Amino acid sequence: MTQEDLLSKLAAKLPHLEKAAAPVKDYLTMRMGSADDLIPSAKVLKDDLGFDYLEMISATDWLGAVKPEGYIRNPNPNVFLAEGATPQSIPTATPGYNYRPMFGVLWLFGNIPERARLFLRLEIARENARVPSLTGLFKSADWQERELYDLMGIRFEGHPNLIKILTPEFTQGHPLRKDYVHIKDKYDE
Amino acid sequence: MGIILEKLPGITKGMPGGELFLTTADNIIDYARKTSLWPMTFGLACCAIEMMASYASRFDFDRFGVIPRPSPRQADVMIVAGTVCKKMAEPILEIYHQMPEPRFVISMGSCANCGGPYYDSYSVLKGVDRIVPVDVYIAGCPPRPEALQYAVVKLQEKLQKMRTIAIAGASLQQEHGSRDILSSTPNNEPNLPPEAGPRIEIG
Repeated sequence: MTQEDLLSKLAAKLPHLEKAAAPVKDYLTMRMGSADDLIPSAKVLKDDLGFDYLEMISATDWLGAVKPEGYIRNPNPNVFLAEGATPQSIPTATPGYNYRPMFGVLWLFGNIPERARLFLRLEIARENARVPSLTGLFKSADWQERELYDLMGIRFEGHPNLIKILTPEFTQGHPLRKDYVHIKDKYDE
Repeated sequence: MGIILEKLPGITKGMPGGELFLTTADNIIDYARKTSLWPMTFGLACCAIEMMASYASRFDFDRFGVIPRPSPRQADVMIVAGTVCKKMAEPILEIYHQMPEPRFVISMGSCANCGGPYYDSYSVLKGVDRIVPVDVYIAGCPPRPEALQYAVVKLQEKLQKMRTIAIAGASLQQEHGSRDILSSTPNNEPNLPPEAGPRIEIG
């Protein structure tokens, strides 16, 4: 199935999806308007179009440069300045398209007999980020959604067991968020 | 020993070749210990690949009497080969407490020594010596198999000087080796091995 075939099928079945301006590599990438579109779209993809394999869920934090408090060591490049060298400026986030208070969430669906892949992309606000869970449709969504909750702090509504999966229980916060601040635990003396 | 000396002529005659080997008990114990250092089989990261290469035929750790054991209860030495995550710290402490004494630790590679390239990380323990006492550190990222074998030779040199009977019992450090951060006992109390730490519940 070529991308044009898939695109025409999607236009017939799921007209609310629009083709994203910046695709992921060369794969067909569709953009969703709101989080409510996710479960109906995934249902149609799974039942009618044969995308019965959820390969990946991923997320990006677009807030900008990482806060220096997120590091244990001082990330200031001027701490070990050589004699006579000019001090470097510390990178800061400038608001714009690249730095915006949004989470980009990405789902990758696979159609193995047709050798086709489809990315679904959704942008949600960082504050109190919530996305519906796909665990009702795909069993493989379970651990991936737990991982995203653990590392990014995105809550998946309807997940049966949304708890930490990777970080130990004494780690506070969600480490892959750009505004993560490391709180010293019992292993940091 | 005295019994043997009384029967010395008979034994000497009975031994093949009639040779006799006299030494102290400490020497023979230390010699037995240092020539059968059995490590616990586990690897944490890429240093474990070099450790496996040391066991295999090209470098052949068996020449040193180093034979990997599948259980900590049969092991003498723990080779911490790789990055110690904070979540892995408690299992490592548990393995260490399950090993019979005397037990030894080799910290292999930069990550196990001090955190290495993960010095800034939120999830990596900055050196395995924060939870267990380390006998030999190996620098390198990862160290070559020869470096690991050199560490074992260094540990053997240390073992040859242990002289357990002459020192008459283990020191407090040897007896309660782990500097345990889970229990907070006063300094004059012996730092007893703790109960198993809080279990990490998954699911």
